[in-house]
Amino acid sequence: MMNKEELAPHVKEIARVLEGRVKEEDIERDLDNYLNVYRMSLEASRRHIVRKYGGDPNALTKGERKTLAQLGLNEGSVDILARVMSSTTREITVSGTPKTIQSGVLADDAGTTVKFTVWDLTKADLQPNTNYLIRYAYTREWNGQPELHLGNRVVVEERPDDEVVVPEGISIPSSGGRSAPQTVKVSGLQDNMYNVTLTGRILSLKNREVDTPSGKKMMFSGILGDETGRVEFTAWEDFNLREGEVVTISNGYVKGWKGIPRLSFGEKAEVTRPKIDFPSAEELSKEAVRTIEDIERTGGAFDVSVHGTIVDIKKGTGLIFRCPECNRVVLKGVCQVHGKVQQIPDLRVRAILDDGFAAMTVVMRKEVSENLTGITLKEALEEARETMDIETISQRFEERLLAKPVMVRGTVMSDDYGLSMTASEARFVTLDVKSEAEALLRKIEVI
Amino acid sequence: MKAREPAWRVFASEFNASTLEIKGEGEKAPSYVVTPLGAMVNRLFIVGILTDIQNLGTEQEPYWRATVSDGTDRFYIYAGKYATEASSALAKIEPPSFVAVIGKSRTYSSDEGKFYVSVRAEKVLSVDEGIKDNWLLETIRATLRRIDAMEEALQMETPSVQSLVNLGFPASLADGVVRAVEHYQNPDVNRFRGTVLEALEQLLPDRAFDLPLPQDLPSPEEIYDSDIDGEDIDDGEKEEIVLKLIEKLDVNKKGAPLSELIKESAKLGIEEDELEEINNSLLDKGLIYEPTIGRMKRI
Repeated sequence: MMNKEELAPHVKEIARVLEGRVKEEDIERDLDNYLNVYRMSLEASRRHIVRKYGGDPNALTKGERKTLAQLGLNEGSVDILARVMSSTTREITVSGTPKTIQSGVLADDAGTTVKFTVWDLTKADLQPNTNYLIRYAYTREWNGQPELHLGNRVVVEERPDDEVVVPEGISIPSSGGRSAPQTVKVSGLQDNMYNVTLTGRILSLKNREVDTPSGKKMMFSGILGDETGRVEFTAWEDFNLREGEVVTISNGYVKGWKGIPRLSFGEKAEVTRPKIDFPSAEELSKEAVRTIEDIERTGGAFDVSVHGTIVDIKKGTGLIFRCPECNRVVLKGVCQVHGKVQQIPDLRVRAILDDGFAAMTVVMRKEVSENLTGITLKEALEEARETMDIETISQRFEERLLAKPVMVRGTVMSDDYGLSMTASEARFVTLDVKSEAEALLRKIEVI
Repeated sequence: MKAREPAWRVFASEFNASTLEIKGEGEKAPSYVVTPLGAMVNRLFIVGILTDIQNLGTEQEPYWRATVSDGTDRFYIYAGKYATEASSALAKIEPPSFVAVIGKSRTYSSDEGKFYVSVRAEKVLSVDEGIKDNWLLETIRATLRRIDAMEEALQMETPSVQSLVNLGFPASLADGVVRAVEHYQNPDVNRFRGTVLEALEQLLPDRAFDLPLPQDLPSPEEIYDSDIDGEDIDDGEKEEIVLKLIEKLDVNKKGAPLSELIKESAKLGIEEDELEEINNSLLDKGLIYEPTIGRMKRI
């Protein structure tokens, strides 16, 4: 369900395409009706409304329309409607050649501000105190904040003065800073968050030297834990961190890899040492159980445990063969990159774990597969030699695993096909059904 | 991101009471059966007793129809040439035995406008009793969660997905609950509380079934016999009698012939109509099954 604030940019966008022929209140009512009563998709609703009032749906922007407050750290293509508060043009040198760029600050109706950079002045030339609809822009993270970039794909259209009215008295920071800090727990971290405050115990820590344009620099990384789970972190400055201590990090930001959140903090961040009771490192290293549905919401998770039933076994389960050069799975001894190779046998499970509310793929490497199924690579190879058929081994894996409740532990990432976990541990779960049933009965009896 | 459809845990009595289908529009858009408690079922995971299997196709091209009882009602499972793996697995299992089925929901509307739901199997396998008990427990929990969500929704002036999600319910469930409230008007939540109690009784057979039920809930007798008309208080006894008869008449272990059963029951004052209802009830409870048409066998 979208609320009024979320609808606002779309209402403005539809009004723009209809060239002011229809009142915004009417568009808002229609949009609310289509989305929240008829449950049509946003894209279809926008097109329907434009067509209904005789407009051209193709004039709608294709990128995602957002308010400045909705901008994430890494937007691929985004449309915004905003007012230019300041703008300066200057020359810089890129790989030896001079280049003219423009930078400044944008603001919108809500009083949110963001810093922008125009990389190609033939595509966009933003004048101060002017409203623009900016389409196909992108954002990049800088010091934990999003910045709007107008590249060579950008399309800019000047808009009337009354379309964006920036509230009086907002401060226009030179760096485009904005939004209040948010305090989160580890399980609430997700890609693109910024200005986050988090308290946790440092469970591991290492440092390494990296080359940066301004010379050699020490960076620190490790694992931070709280009672909801564990997350990997990177510190770009030396905060004098010690393994085992409890720290509160403010003004950190999250950069994900395939949905796995990673906490980063640099020179804008602050690290304090609160004097509080906090679970021990040992307690924080235990299984952190989360549901698939919950992980779906954050897009991924580092080292979590998930309970569910195996409802499908995918192709590539059982005995497989890998290329000794690149580790790819080979078919009939032929690697798609390295041709005919001396293939190396391996064991693997690719299964679907399902808890009745959501599902994810789980991939188990050899040791995890052997432990769970009790079928070793040696046995599988012997059997394959006897039967001359590796299919029968996949079937044996299926018989051992299908319909069984399991607990798996590992790191969960997401792609176009949903979530997938690389498991480091897996075990069958046997419940004491009787006592669980008694407990449920007591719960019902209280009603 | 196109995530895989989850396999819902739903009791047969809830699934079979569904009369709402949401058809996916466009290519590969999934369709859903929405149950009275708001489960939006595209895929299911079922564990129960395979009570009957029949080939509706030919020997060369079998098309299996199986019934799987979970103690609350029967699921109708189909497997044909588009599910060769499930089809050949099904053919190898002798009823009665515990099976797990993973499959997709299907619907059928008769000319009279009656709505039927069934399951097209993706996977079928034999399982042990532990898996069945585990499934019962999981399905009890899932059903209670849907009852919770439904009761919350019924208390709202205008139930919405967002307000249910804010209460901590999964988005997929919240969506189904909002649709169910609209379609089923005032879904009979207590009926499914009864289903949950039946399932709990399966897990705790030694426990006397005198649960303090909510005030407005029908008594356990009413729940059990809700599908049997009539004033008889001794229906339970009659079921007992019929069960014993079936056992007695099953002389060659192929099941008691129905004709014999009708004759013998009549002698004990049970008319044919009533016998049919008792048999249906026993089938639903998974106490008997039909090894072949016209024969009843005790499990």
